[in-house]
Amino acid sequence: MVIDVVSASDEIHFKNDTTPVSTQQQAIDFIKKIDTLIKSDYWPHIRPKTFLENIRLNIYKPLSIYEGVSTNFCGYAALSYILLHDDPLQYAKFMIELYEHGEATMGKVFFHPSPEIEQAAGAMKFKGKLDISPADQIWFLSLADHFKGYLNVFDKHYDAGDEDKLWASVNYAKFNRMVRELFNERVDAIGSDLIHPAINDLYEYISSKMKKGTMVLYINNTFLYKKTHSALKLAIPTHYIILERISKIDDTITIVYWDYGGRSLRQLTPKFLKRITYGISHCTKKMNDAP
Amino acid sequence: MRHRNLYQILFAAVIFCGCNSTQKIVTTYYAENEQVLNNIEQSFKTLYRQRPFSIEFTDRSFNFFSIEIMTDSLKYIYEFGINEKRIKDTLLKYALNKEGILDIITQMRSIQCTWINNLDFYVDQEKHSLVFISMRPVELSKPFTNKKYYIITYFSQPQYFDNEGKLLVKKQMKRTRKINGEIFWRINDKVCYTISARFR
Repeated sequence: MVIDVVSASDEIHFKNDTTPVSTQQQAIDFIKKIDTLIKSDYWPHIRPKTFLENIRLNIYKPLSIYEGVSTNFCGYAALSYILLHDDPLQYAKFMIELYEHGEATMGKVFFHPSPEIEQAAGAMKFKGKLDISPADQIWFLSLADHFKGYLNVFDKHYDAGDEDKLWASVNYAKFNRMVRELFNERVDAIGSDLIHPAINDLYEYISSKMKKGTMVLYINNTFLYKKTHSALKLAIPTHYIILERISKIDDTITIVYWDYGGRSLRQLTPKFLKRITYGISHCTKKMNDAP
Repeated sequence: MRHRNLYQILFAAVIFCGCNSTQKIVTTYYAENEQVLNNIEQSFKTLYRQRPFSIEFTDRSFNFFSIEIMTDSLKYIYEFGINEKRIKDTLLKYALNKEGILDIITQMRSIQCTWINNLDFYVDQEKHSLVFISMRPVELSKPFTNKKYYIITYFSQPQYFDNEGKLLVKKQMKRTRKINGEIFWRINDKVCYTISARFR
């Protein structure tokens, strides 16, 4: 009986939802109609065929979007997960518009990438699968070019190689702002760039929020993916992951998360989860009566 | 003032010794461990074809390791102590060759090998792959050594190098190829090395 009530409530919320959402099928139908594109004057290093192939892949396999080796694009990739799952049609339309006209609007944001970005897109090398993903290069570079946070203050202008540097980095407030402005989503965020969120039982907090929406964790990557054996590690967050599932048996927490173009399953202790977590952003579709 | 000069001389000596030992490792390490390294690489390639995986030693004393097992939908990441019995159960669960994997782990441990993985790279839109092996030799563990990992890459095809032995993108293109942000140097046509601050 209780379950029925919850379902009915969800139905009402869905109907009142003001976020323009679309299905994967709608995006597939849209992109199928586009056989060819004329080579864009705005993106000299990008061939229409490979651009379209990349868009198609992202629509058919939204988990496959990959930020590239050694880049600071993980925040933008996490953002893309939300877009490709919640509104793939908007993604497809926006990317085609941006390719053809060199400018486009998404949500409240008008994108007009700088000439340096137009030259850089399609020319990235040694970034793994990102090398052959020209549409993803346009998307990540355009996001980094447009959105600025305090970490970008000293490097606002793109130069070759800046995708690995502070120019592309995403502080926590900037990430939450991007989600709000681009997707009209409500973001309940707790955490910061320096201090862990003051939550006693992190597992309980996260799992209680995960019934709806998308859960993004802002974490210290040097613990999750060790790259050195040094005992000295910077206690700052450096990576965004999408948390898809979390469960706990005794003192072992199992998480399934998305990053680097795929899903991973990992077991950790509550202490370790607390140690790596700096930000928790719960993104849900905005309702008509939302504040 | 005299003390200051002494400190400067000592500091220079430490740096000089550090550089020398690094150079020595570069030139001799592969030759000394060639057989074991080639065995690890060959076994890894064979087993990787059956099911993709990677192995990482997570601590300096080589008592704990992590294995990443790739399936169609998920990458499973598990960490074990070197003598834990549940390792075998996990390998069986994912239909991995138990003896083969355990043999790789033993060989990796014997030469302080911290990580082995398969990396993809692209040339002219075409996907290629290489085997990436990181080591943490004792010689590089000394203080004042920033770059603590010796990395060896095994390519499937012969590669191109410039006159200094730097790995190039293509024969015609004199652009240096970077892997994981590092420049690599020639050992032979298919094997390259670098020294890095990171093992992955």
